[in-house]
Amino acid sequence: MGLVQNVIFGLVQGSYIAIAAIGFTMIYGIVNMINFAYGEYLTIGAFVGFVAATALPLPLPAAVLVAMAGAGVVSLLLAKAFFTPINHTGPVPMLLTSIGLGLVLRNVIRLGAGRSARRFDVDTVTYQFRGIPEVPIGPVDLLGDFFVTSEHLVVIGSALVVFLALHALLTRTDVGIAMRAMSDDVDLARVRGIDTQLIRNAVWVLAGMLAGLAGVLLGVQTNVSVSTGFSQILQILAAAILGGAGSPYGAIAGAYVIGLVLALSTAFLPASMTGVSSAMAFLVLVLVLLVKPSGIAGQEVREA
Amino acid sequence: MVANHTGTVNRRTLLKGVGAGGLAATAGCLGLGGGGGAVTIGQPAALTGQWDFLQPGVSKATDVAVQQINDAGLLDGRELAIERRDTAVEPQEARTVVTQLLENDDAVALLGLFSSELNPLYDFIQDQATPVITPWPGSNFLDTRGGDHGTPEDVSDDEWIWRTVISDTVHTAGAALRALDEDHDTVGIINGNTEGARSWVNGFRNAYEANDGTVAEQVEVSQGSSSYQSALDRLFESDFSAFAVSLPLEDATTLMSDWADGGYGRQPILSDPLAQQDLIDAVGEPLNGAWAASPGESGPNYSAFESAYQAGEGDAEINAWTAPAWDATIVTALAIERAGEATAEAVEQNLGPVSRGPGTEVADFTEGKEALANGDEINYQGAATDVSFTQFGNVLGSVVINQVQDQEFTQIDTITAQELQEFVPEGEY
Repeated sequence: MGLVQNVIFGLVQGSYIAIAAIGFTMIYGIVNMINFAYGEYLTIGAFVGFVAATALPLPLPAAVLVAMAGAGVVSLLLAKAFFTPINHTGPVPMLLTSIGLGLVLRNVIRLGAGRSARRFDVDTVTYQFRGIPEVPIGPVDLLGDFFVTSEHLVVIGSALVVFLALHALLTRTDVGIAMRAMSDDVDLARVRGIDTQLIRNAVWVLAGMLAGLAGVLLGVQTNVSVSTGFSQILQILAAAILGGAGSPYGAIAGAYVIGLVLALSTAFLPASMTGVSSAMAFLVLVLVLLVKPSGIAGQEVREA
Repeated sequence: MVANHTGTVNRRTLLKGVGAGGLAATAGCLGLGGGGGAVTIGQPAALTGQWDFLQPGVSKATDVAVQQINDAGLLDGRELAIERRDTAVEPQEARTVVTQLLENDDAVALLGLFSSELNPLYDFIQDQATPVITPWPGSNFLDTRGGDHGTPEDVSDDEWIWRTVISDTVHTAGAALRALDEDHDTVGIINGNTEGARSWVNGFRNAYEANDGTVAEQVEVSQGSSSYQSALDRLFESDFSAFAVSLPLEDATTLMSDWADGGYGRQPILSDPLAQQDLIDAVGEPLNGAWAASPGESGPNYSAFESAYQAGEGDAEINAWTAPAWDATIVTALAIERAGEATAEAVEQNLGPVSRGPGTEVADFTEGKEALANGDEINYQGAATDVSFTQFGNVLGSVVINQVQDQEFTQIDTITAQELQEFVPEGEY
């Protein structure tokens, strides 16, 4: 095991960060707010999916769809109740409201769901790749023994499907083109006849659905608990900023950078420093922003 | 001569009367001793947070013990009340909770606080001058801190922390000895980055290496991560036959699932909080054979505790901290009873005398109350251990080995307190 194995781990981690970060960054780009409650949307999705898979019980793909629908509806309802009424007050009140809403949601989930972590009942198949000739590159081996599990493949495959669907949405549909127009200039989009409120609603639903999907994938990969989403919010935020806040394509790139840095730093840092791998991801974030303040795919900052 | 009374009361006299009456009425609540109000004991609790899965058993044991104490009658009829507040096992929250319990609830003693809270708040606890009798902390930080230094009457040298659970130094020594007995002379270690997780590992590593074991690799991970696969991959690059895991349950669930999916194999040794059915349910068959060394049930009166506990309301499972919680409650109430008053200093001065001195051995509060009423000295014989506090406020007890067999933990071995004492002599815990 070695570099290839850890790249696989990084791609898996990057995949569910990317799915969530797309929704997070679209809210920023179109609604113009940083939604710190977004991590709880993942938790809601994970729990809805878990209930659908166990109580109903539905097969996992159907439970995923229920989770996406549930989280999408919750996202829209919360936006209508808490964010839309203060949309005119600027980003800071919206940010503070989202932090408060996140705390409330987390405690409501805790009251309803209790303390225990839960696991999706899925059969994991592990594909072992052994005896691959080693190709030494410097001090590490490029190839060698490594494994991939069925969960890894589901996470990476789901991310690819989401990326393709997102690209089709943004380039081939009126709604997607309207989203891009609003992201560039909301006033111009409005005078050109775009129903901006309708598009905002669509973004809330879409972001919620992506959070629901990411939540279930996280639940399948790890477990479902009150902290499922909250523990991811900083990485999602980092991916969105690294990619260029407001840019879905950038968020994808940022997420994979974060995922790979997390995996590779754990693997190759001195043993005494492996507990700080998450800090390494943020160090990379700072270094990239020093070189390119707008992020990987963000537009250059315009002088006023 | 007719007194100069006109049917009205002088205003100053009225205020004096009201003041005196109010003081008398609240004397019990204020801990001024001898009053008829309830005696409040605070319980900082893990109602939320990473360790909350352990709290239900501890809460139930405390409540059942309090019920038994109140049935017998504390201080000739005063009620013992438990005020439970959530710390989420966060030091800052714990600091706030302790202040609330002492300032707002007038607690005369505290029955809680984890290692993760006690260690950073150690100086703060000293400033409060209120005894903390806790069933939680294993931290070796407390091995030579706490207790009354063997001088019950003199509180000037006291360190106000007592624990009714054995130290990590003791039960991790049990884990280390067991590993060596199984011929695992080289191990790997993976642990979280909090005080509790590190303390377990430090204790294990010290005992293991002191007995000629070799640690091939130790990997520390950030708790709350969504994946531990890279860390596992790092660990398993090294050559060893068994690996020790010290993490909270939620993180351990993820880690051990990753371990199972990766097919890494080798012998897992779990820290004591992980002896939970939830972990088995989550990880499944690959966990068969894993074992944990936990504080044992070596108290002479474990069965009395167990039957009272099972008869109590609620279905919370017994864990390694449940019997120590029972002991903490009973020994504190006995200290109040012996003192004849409910103040923090009185509790502190009497915890040693009711637990370690010569005297009538008592199994519960009722027996202790009767013996004290007869003028006897008492020695409380507990459920988790015999609760003979050392000068540092620690106890010594046995360690049990619980192994996963057929998808449940089964007790397969006991290492007695006497055996362990050879490895951890008094004065070092």
